[in-house]
Amino acid sequence: MALVVDSLSAAYGDTQVLWDVSIRIEPGEIVALIGSNGAGKSSLLGAMSGLVKKRGGTVVYDGTDLTALQPDAIVRAGVVQVPQGRRLFNSLTVHENLLMGAYLRNDKEIASDLERVLEMLPRLRQRYEFLAGKLSGGEQQQVAIARALMARPKVMLIDEMSLGLAPVLVDQLLEILTTINASGVAILIVEQDVQTALEFASRAYVLETGRVTIVGPTSQLLDDPQVQKAYLGV
Amino acid sequence: MAVATATAPPARRVGLGGITGSPLALKVVVGLLVLALAVPLLHNGYYENLFRGILMFSAMALGWNLIGGYTGYVSFGNVVFFGLGAYTSATLASHGIENVWVAVPLAIVVAAMFAVALGVPILRLKGHYFGIATLGIALAVQEIVANVDALGGGTGVTLHQAAWYSQYYYAMWLVCAGSLLVTWFIARSKFGYALVAIRENEDAAAVLGVNATYFKVAAWAISGMMAAAAGAVFAFSTGFIDPPSAFSVDNNVFPIVMVLLGGIGTVAGPVVGAILLTAINETLWSHFPQIHTLFFGAVIVIVVLFLPRGLLYLQNARGGLRGMIDSLSAYRV
Repeated sequence: MALVVDSLSAAYGDTQVLWDVSIRIEPGEIVALIGSNGAGKSSLLGAMSGLVKKRGGTVVYDGTDLTALQPDAIVRAGVVQVPQGRRLFNSLTVHENLLMGAYLRNDKEIASDLERVLEMLPRLRQRYEFLAGKLSGGEQQQVAIARALMARPKVMLIDEMSLGLAPVLVDQLLEILTTINASGVAILIVEQDVQTALEFASRAYVLETGRVTIVGPTSQLLDDPQVQKAYLGV
Repeated sequence: MAVATATAPPARRVGLGGITGSPLALKVVVGLLVLALAVPLLHNGYYENLFRGILMFSAMALGWNLIGGYTGYVSFGNVVFFGLGAYTSATLASHGIENVWVAVPLAIVVAAMFAVALGVPILRLKGHYFGIATLGIALAVQEIVANVDALGGGTGVTLHQAAWYSQYYYAMWLVCAGSLLVTWFIARSKFGYALVAIRENEDAAAVLGVNATYFKVAAWAISGMMAAAAGAVFAFSTGFIDPPSAFSVDNNVFPIVMVLLGGIGTVAGPVVGAILLTAINETLWSHFPQIHTLFFGAVIVIVVLFLPRGLLYLQNARGGLRGMIDSLSAYRV
C-alpha cells in the first residue's frame, strides 16, 4: 500500500532537474519534503502526478506501476496533488470547484462526500456560492485541499501550502490536514517553511539540487546540525 | 466583496449547474430565432440576405466561442473551417452534386478530420503561440487552395443555385440553431466544465484528471464543424467563391468581435453579438458609406475597453455592474 518512488530522474528538455530520487510514503504516514528554491520539489511532485516527463526510475503505488500513466489514471489510482499557488478555477463557484475534484467519479457518493468535506471545512459552506477567485488566500487554500479530497485520494501530495499565508492560517490548515490524515489518507507535504514541515510530519526528505541528501525521522532532522544551519537558521 | 450571510446555505445543490450565462438572454435569443423562421415569407431579398448573414455569423461566433470563450484558446484562424466548408460545397458542385443538404454534413466531417489532424500538435501551444499558429494555418490553407487547379485555383468556382433560393436561408437557420443547441448542451455538461477548467487553469485541471488534450481537440473540432457548416451554406447562397472570399479577414475577425460584444463564454452571447454587430455595421454603412469602417473600429475599441467580457455580463448574475467595474480595474483602464 505504500507509494514508492525509485531512482526517479526527470528533465525539462536538456535540463535535468531530478537525479535518482527515491522516496517512500507508507499508508497513513505524513512525510515532509523540504529544500530550498529550485531544489526540484515541485518537479518531483509533477513527475509523480504525470505532469513532468520522467527520464528514468519508477513510481509504484499499491503494486500498480504509475510510471508511464497519464495524470488522469494516476488520480484514479488514488494519488492526488494539491498544486502550488492554489490553482483554483476562479470563475467557478466554490461548489463547482469542489465538484471538479470529483471529475473522474461517477458514483453515487459524491453528494455525501461533499457533505463530509463541508463538515470538515465549515468556512466553505458559508462561501459555497462565491466565485473561487473572490475568496481570501486562506479560504482559497481550503478550497484547493477540499477539491483534492473530492477525488477520494489515498495519498495527497501538497505543494507549498503555506505560501503567502499568515502563520495562524497555516496552523488552521495543518489541523485540517491532521483530520484528513486521521481518516487514513497519507500525506506528502512539500514546504519551504522547514520548521513547520518538520514539526508536522513524522519523516522527512531533504532535496538539494535534484538529489535526496538527507532522510530520516523529523525529530532527528530537527537536531541535525546540517539541517539546522541550512534551513532553520540556527 | 459582499458580506457573507450569517446563515450558511445548505449544501443541497450537488449537480454541476451549468455555465450557460444569462437565462433571460437565452430565452430572448431562442425567441428571435423562432421569429427568424418567418423572414423568407416577407419575400424581401434584402431582409433575407441580412438575416441569413446574421445566422451565418451567429454560427461562426458560436463556434469561436467554444474554443476561444469556453476553452480559453484564442483562435485567429477559425475562418479556415469556414473556407473548408465553402470549398466542400464548391467541390461537390463542380462534380455535379449541387445540393446544400449533402454539402453541410460532408463539410462537418471534413472540418472534424482537419481539426483532429491539426489540433493534436497545435493545441500543445498556449496563449499567443496558439493564436499565431491558427492564423498561420488559415493563411497557408488559403494559399494552398489558391494553387490547386482542381479547386478552381485563384479564379474561383461558380455554384448553380436551386430554383427555391430560400432553402439556403433555412439551411443557415438550421446550422445556427444546431450550433446554439450544441453549445447549450455542452455548457450544461461535464464536458463544458472540463473546457472551463482548462481555461481557468490547465495544470489544475490536469492534476484533477481532466485529459486536457482530448477536450481541447474535441472543442476545436466542434468549433470548426459549426464554421464549416456555415461556410458550406454560404458557398451556395452566394453562388461564387474564390480563396479571398472563402477565407476573408472579415469572416475571421467579425465572429471574434461578436463574441466579445455579446458575452464571451456564454451560450446566447455570440448570437446577441452577431445581431448587434450586424445592425451596427449595416446602419453605419448606409449612413456613412465613406467612413463607416472608422466608426466600426471605434465600436470595437469601446467594446474592448468598457465591456471586455461582453454585454451579457452587465446583467449576468455572475457579473453585474460590479463585475463590469471589476473587469475595468482588472484591465487597468
